[in-house]
Parts: sequence; C-alpha cells; structure tokens
Amino acid sequence: MNAGPNAALASGSLISAPALMAIRSLELRARAVVEGFWSGIHRSPHHGFSVEFTEYRQYTPGDDPRHLDWRVFGRTDRHYIKRFEDETNLRCHLVVDRSRSMDFGSTGHSKADYANTLAATLAYFLHLQGDAIGLLTFDEVVREYLPARHRAGHLRHLMHTLEAPAAGHATDLAGPLERTAEIVRKRGLIVLVSDFLAPATAIERPLTRLAAAGHELAVFQVLDPAERDFGFRDPSVFEDSEDGRTLYVDPAAARPGYLDRLAAHNASLRSLCERLGIGWHPLGTDRPLELALFDFVQNRSRRGRRTGRPGTQGGIAS
Amino acid sequence: MNFLAPLFLLGAVAIGGPILFHLIRRTTRERTPFSSLLFLQPTPPRLTKKSRLEHLLLLLLRALALLLLTLGFARPFFRQPEAPAPAAGPGTRTVLLLDTSASMRRSGLWDDARSRLARHLREAAPADQIALFTFDREIVSKLSFTQWQSVPVGERAALALATLDGLSPGWSSTRVGPALIRAAEELTEDEGTGQRRRILLIGDLQEGARLDPLQSYEWPKGIEVVPEAVRPRNPGNAGLQLVAEAPDSDRGTGAVVRVRVANSPDARKEQFQVGWANADGTGFATAPTDVYVPPGQGRMVAIATPTNAVGLTRILLRGDDEPFDNTVFVYPPEPAPLDLLYLGSESPADSHQPLFFLRRALPDTRRQTVHLTVRKPGETLATETLAASRMIVVTDRLPDNLADAVRGRMEAGQTVLFAPTGDTAGATLQRLLGHPELTLGEVRPPTYAMLGELDFRHPMLAPFADPRFSDFTKIHFWRYRKLGEPLPATAQVVARFDSGAPAWIDFPVGRGHLLFLASGWGPDDSQFALSSKFVPWLYSLLDLAGAAAPPSANPLVGDPLPLPAGRTTDFAVRLPDGTVTNLPPATIRFAGTLQPGIYFLGAGPTATSVAVNLDPAESRTAPLGPEELERLGVRLDPALSTAAAEPKPQAVPPAQEAEGRQKLWRWLLAGTLAVLLIESLVAGRTARQTSLPVEATS
Repeated sequence: MNAGPNAALASGSLISAPALMAIRSLELRARAVVEGFWSGIHRSPHHGFSVEFTEYRQYTPGDDPRHLDWRVFGRTDRHYIKRFEDETNLRCHLVVDRSRSMDFGSTGHSKADYANTLAATLAYFLHLQGDAIGLLTFDEVVREYLPARHRAGHLRHLMHTLEAPAAGHATDLAGPLERTAEIVRKRGLIVLVSDFLAPATAIERPLTRLAAAGHELAVFQVLDPAERDFGFRDPSVFEDSEDGRTLYVDPAAARPGYLDRLAAHNASLRSLCERLGIGWHPLGTDRPLELALFDFVQNRSRRGRRTGRPGTQGGIAS
Repeated sequence: MNFLAPLFLLGAVAIGGPILFHLIRRTTRERTPFSSLLFLQPTPPRLTKKSRLEHLLLLLLRALALLLLTLGFARPFFRQPEAPAPAAGPGTRTVLLLDTSASMRRSGLWDDARSRLARHLREAAPADQIALFTFDREIVSKLSFTQWQSVPVGERAALALATLDGLSPGWSSTRVGPALIRAAEELTEDEGTGQRRRILLIGDLQEGARLDPLQSYEWPKGIEVVPEAVRPRNPGNAGLQLVAEAPDSDRGTGAVVRVRVANSPDARKEQFQVGWANADGTGFATAPTDVYVPPGQGRMVAIATPTNAVGLTRILLRGDDEPFDNTVFVYPPEPAPLDLLYLGSESPADSHQPLFFLRRALPDTRRQTVHLTVRKPGETLATETLAASRMIVVTDRLPDNLADAVRGRMEAGQTVLFAPTGDTAGATLQRLLGHPELTLGEVRPPTYAMLGELDFRHPMLAPFADPRFSDFTKIHFWRYRKLGEPLPATAQVVARFDSGAPAWIDFPVGRGHLLFLASGWGPDDSQFALSSKFVPWLYSLLDLAGAAAPPSANPLVGDPLPLPAGRTTDFAVRLPDGTVTNLPPATIRFAGTLQPGIYFLGAGPTATSVAVNLDPAESRTAPLGPEELERLGVRLDPALSTAAAEPKPQAVPPAQEAEGRQKLWRWLLAGTLAVLLIESLVAGRTARQTSLPVEATS
C-alpha cells in the first residue's frame, strides 16, 4: 500500500498544492484530495474499507426497542440490538490555527489555505468513514467550536466555518489547547493543524494534558517554503505579521542562523511529540495534500498496530 | 582649462559618497511581511562585492553627475590666446586725461587715479605715444607727444610722472566735455599715422561732470575713449550749496541764509546737521539744525543769521564722510558805492528839471549805493570829488576852468553826460570836446520829435536791443539842440531824431567818453524821464561809465571776479589763505579764485568781500555710466570699457571675462541633468529587476 502514493507522486498524478488551491470550494478541494487518494491507493475506494465494525448483541430488558434489528428478528426470531454507527465510530476534533501568522504564503496560497484544505480533507475523509468530526479554530483564544458529529449537513457547516475569514492577530497555542482539553471531554482523535511558531516549551503542558486525557493526537505543522528554506535574496525590513514588529534583515547573512534555530525548534517539537506518543507531521505548503493524508493514514495504521487504539471506541482501519 | 573657482573642485571628493553607498548593502525601506520574527535576528549593513559589481553602471553615472556638477561650480574656462603684443604694431597714440577736480578729493580717489595712470605709463610700448593732460574746469597740458618722444624709452614714464609731482586735486568743477574735445583735437592733429588713437579718461566720472559741450561736437572717427573710473571707499556724499538771492532784491533779507543739502543716490547716511561754523571752521558756532535727507534727494534749509554774526562767514554740514563739499562761505554782498557829480544850476525840488528825476531814478540796491553830489557851476569843487565821481552830469554852462578839469577827468577815463538845458552851454561843449567850431542851436519842432534811428549796438542802448524793448516812439521830444556840422570824425551817433538830427552822440575823449544828449529828460524838453525806458537807460549809462559790473550772485571757484574799472594804482586781492595779490590797474578781472572762501578785493573803505564757493555740481558724486558718453556720440573702446576693472596684465584678458563669454558651466549643468536622467532610468530598471522574488499574499 505504501507503493501507491509514492508511485502516484513519481508519476505526477497527484494534484499539486497550487492547482488544488485554485479550486475555490473547500469541500470540492477536500473531495478531490480524498478521491485522488483513494484512486491512488485502491482500484475501488468503496471496497475493502470497512467502516467501524458494527456489532449485534442480544436484547436485554432496558434497551431501547428502537434499536432492535427487525430483519434479524424476522430471520432468526431473536431480538438483537444493532449498535449505531455513531456510537461506535471515531470522534475526531480538528483543531485549526487561524492566527495572522498563518496568512503568510509565498507559493500563491497561504498557510491558512493549506491548513484549511488539510482540515477539510481530513474531515471529508473521516466523514466518509462515518466518523464524527468536530472543529475548533483558534488564534489567541478559541474562536469557533463545532462538536464532533456525523450528521447530514454537519460536514458542510464545518466547511463553512473553515472558510470564514480569520479575525485573530496573535497566536497563543497553549491557551487554546488548554481550552480544547476542557471542551473535548470524550476521548477521541485530536488533529492539531498549526505552524507552531511558538516555543515548544509553551505547548508541552497542554499537549501532555491532552495526551493524558486519553486522546489520540496528531500534529500537522504547516510551514511555507519561504519559512522552511528562507529563500529571500535582498535585504529588507521584515515585519512580523502578528505583532507588527520590524527587523532589518539581510537574508544572506541571516539565513544560516535562521535555519539553525528553526531546525532546533522543529527538533524540540518532534522530540516532544515522540515523547508523548503524538503523531508529528511537518508539512510544506508546496507538498501535495494526498501525501499528507497518506502519511496520516499510514502513521495511524502503524500506531494502531504498535500501540493499539488509545481509546475503546472505533478507529480507522487501513 | 582653467578654473575661476578652483576650490569647488574639492567637491569632487563627494564621489566617494556613491562609492561607499554602493559598497554598503542598500538599507532598503522595502518591507517584507513575514509570519514570525521568532527565529530572525537583525543584521547590520555590510559590504558586498556583489553589489559593487551589480550596480557598476549606476555607480559610474552617479559619480559622473557629481563630477560634472563640481566642474560646473568651479567655473572652467579656456584661456584665450593672448592678444598680440602692442609693440608689434605701429603703437598707440594715447591722451591721458587726469581729473583734478574737487570731487577727486574724496577718500582714496587721487591715489587710485595716480596709480592707474602710473600703470598705464609703465605699460606703454616703445612705439606708443602718450600725452598727459589734467583737467578740472581748465585743461592743463602736462606732457605733450613731442616731449614724450624726446626722451629715451626707459625714462618716459618717469618723466610723465614727474610732471604730476606735488599735484593734488583742486577745488574746481569737473568739465569732462571740454577736456575730451581738447584731447580729441590733440589726437586729430596728426591724422594718418596709422596709429590707434585713444583717450584714457581717469577720474571719478561723477554725475556733475559737465558733458554738455559734447552735444554740439561731432566726435572724430577713429578716436576711442577708455573711461577708467575710480571709485571712492565711501560711495555716498552729501553736499552743501548756497542758494543765491537775486542781486536786486531788497536789502535786509540777509537775516536768513538759505542753503540746500543734497544727498547722492548711493549715500548711506541720511541724518545731517547744518549750522554756522566757528571762525576756524572746525565746529558749530551756533546750535545746528538737524536735517534729514534721504539718498538722492535735497532739502532746503533756512539758517538764521545771529544778530551778532560778526566773523561768521561759513556754514557747515556735519554727518557726511566726504568733507570737501561740506562748507559754504557766506558774505553778504556790500553795495558798491557809486559817486555821481551833477553840475547844474537847477533846483533839486523843481519837478520840471532833470535833477529832480535823476535823484529819484537811482535808489540804493543790494548792488550799489549811489551818492549824487550836486554842484552849481559857480561853486567851488574839490578835486577829490571830481576824481571820485564815476560819472559827471553837465546840464549847464561851466566856467572854463571847471570845464577843463572835467575834460581832464574824461581823458583819464571818466564819463561825462552832457545834457544841456539850453543852447548857452555850447561853449562848454566846445571846451569839453576841444572843438571850438562846434555850434549848438535850439530846435523846436512844430509838434514833437521822435527818436527815429537807434544804434542798439552801442552799450547805452544794448539793453534795449530786444524787439520787445526797442520801441522808443512813445517818447516825444518837444525841443532839442542841434549841433552844427561837421561832427568830429570820432563821434558816434547813437540815436537820431526823425528829422535826421543827431539825438544822442558818443564823443570819445581820451580814455573817457562824452555822451551828448540833444534833448534832456526833463519835462520841459521831452517825455523821456516819464517813460519806462529812462531808468534802465540810466543804469546802462552807469555801466558804461565803469561802475562795477554786477557781481555774480554766487561766484564759484574759477569764476573771475570783476574789478572796479578806472583804477590808477595796483589793486590788492586777499585770498582766503591770507596771501595778497596785487593786480595792475589794467586788470579788470581777477581770475585766481582757485579755492573756496572769502576774497577781499581792494583796500581801505572801498574794499569789498566776495564769498567764492565750490561748484554745486561737484557734490553730485553718483557715478556716471560710460553709456552717457556713448549717448553723446563719443566712441568707447569696446574691449576696455570695463570701468572698474581690476589692474591686470593687459595681454591676458580677465578670467571673469573669458569665463563669462564661454559659460562652460551651462553645458556642464546640462550634462549633469542628462546624466541624472539616465541614472534615474537605469535605477528604476534595476529596482524592478531586483525586486523580491517572494511576495506576500494576504
């Protein structure tokens, strides 16, 4: 299965990030990614993938008679209760950074576009699997919260929320993550999408708290290629998009130091994630989203085999 | 290439500026939005080899613009080839005119003028010919062309300068016009020598320099004038002038002396004081009057004469830097005494007799006081009285001895008016004229006689020569005396009656005259005494008789002072500086008024004083432009008419002039602008090319 996306990447059949971002509708973008993903992985995306296992159990007094499976009763003359999918499926909360720093972009689309598309893709993908999807957007505080649901219209509502323009300025990762831990009581999957341009020490505590609450965590760090490689050429006054601070920087002179510090920061984040058992996915906005999705699914699959499902409820089968 | 302001070339070091800025990476004002400055640290501007290579063209353009600008400010010029040496040609014939007028007394002018003159003399080539004149009111030849050429070349300048030893500006007025004409005539004498002819005019060329004679003078061709004006250290000047009163105005108005304070247009002072000066002229004897005179204007000031104004002869102006024209001398003109002797037997109270009218026709004026002495023919007469009388009027028959005495005075130069009231005086006439054949007969025309033929050339009638006054037909003569023919050959008939008989005859006797009137002015003889012609006619007789000519109302330095005629002894004139000049009796004018001040004429009780002042035109010291000379037709030397040019070697044209002609700085400035334009275009293109490849999106 690993050969699928790589072969697709090599053959150039994946949708490039700029081409994807040219699609205006977030939902269409997500659909395009997911269907492309499936077409790259499977011949038929509708076979071989099972949603969460649905189990039957004998009816016991006290169960809601609405949940009786009448077909089984007709065939076998026994009362069986069918467990509803929503009860058994994954609860996934997408926590998306909407701060001003996410508006930066040098490839024709911003990090926020990429992060929204990623969130929408995951939401669509999980929705197709029947999982309940929730959404939290934040900048310095939690701005929007949609509880995890799997209802008709919920996905569209979620897309609209993601498409709404961001109003925040600063980023405070710690506060919103603490708040997320308070809001999301039921254990589930929490997907964190941000650029994580904040000291790793600041987010250690909330991440630890989330992990300790039994949530499965996946962290997507979205970085622009300009941030990643610092490919500026001419000296210029660099202005912080969040607090407006300015700094005269000669890129030729500042690049080595910048890259060193960024690498150190990323290394500390990665080690933190590994320590907490959190899936760490650094992403460049020039990278096709299918690959991000593939990494995510593959990572979860590995985690599922290695550590088992952190919760008792359904997960994603690969 | 030379530079007028080479110090500006130091500005070329500013080229280092662009070079340094090109070495320093541009501190851009361009802002690049970035997600977070968390991992960024400020970097100082640094030198890069890359930028120097990238913007080499810009650097060159900027350096070139600065270099052109610097060159432009340094005012470059190319030195013209030197004029051919004067010695190569036939030489120049030059008349040097040096101003010695009173206005040259201003600070520094004389030394400057002399040094310029000396420079011209020294620079003269061996082939050059130079004549030197000084001028003020008069023109004085100091050195002629002949004298110049008569000495060796090396000694010429010294010879010319030696003629100026001890010379200093006088007190006379400036008369540039006559001086130029005189110099031009000097140059036109030797026309055709092929030499260049020019007049070098060295002086202050002030407004008061009189150029009028040039108006009626046709300037000769080929003579160029080089005005070389010297300028004083203090440009402004205020002058004091005496405002003269009419000589015939009433006496007694001398209580107030009117002076005019004139300030030159380039003056810097406006506040002055005017008042009577003390005896030595160093300070004010009375409280001065404050006068405010703006530049270019004049103010009339009335200075009251103190009641005890003994010895106050000068009025002083204080507040002006140039003292040469700050004093005017005032001496109230004393009326000249004029003695007349009347020899006749009629009563002074008889209104039908000539004496009655004669007494009333000669009142005292500011000009003269007439003393009329009346003697009957039989009375004794002192010889002094006879000698002192300017004119003797005879109306009656005189005793022979008296007639002889009168004839003696006539021969000595006195004038006798012989107007007989009857024909009995014929014998006296014979005796006076020395013509025993002369007969005198009375004629009574049927109605009246008129003057029909008048000789207005005679001094007696000269004042009536104007057609407005020449009508004598209103005067009727009831009777007259007719002289028997023939008249002496020397007799000049001045007027004839309409009958042709002589009415007025001038008989020269010795050095004097006998004026014969065929008909008297008394009402018994004619209407003459009642006509408007009578009094002017009497005064013309007095003038003829040698009364002092009316003195100039305000004689100026250089004006001749008239002296009393008929003198027999030397006449002493005391000058303001105290020296006394004795003039022989034949001298009728004193021309030595070379300095302002009080001149005392004569000695004893008849002595008079005259105040001689500076010409007011000398106070008009504002510079006169050379164009004024051109306007009057004088040809100026176009190359050397820079009036106040600094002394420089003549062969090399002045740097300013060469630079002013070439004006290279304009081209350099235009070049700078063009280079800056190209630089802007190149810089704009470079900026577009090197703009950030990374663009922020919002």
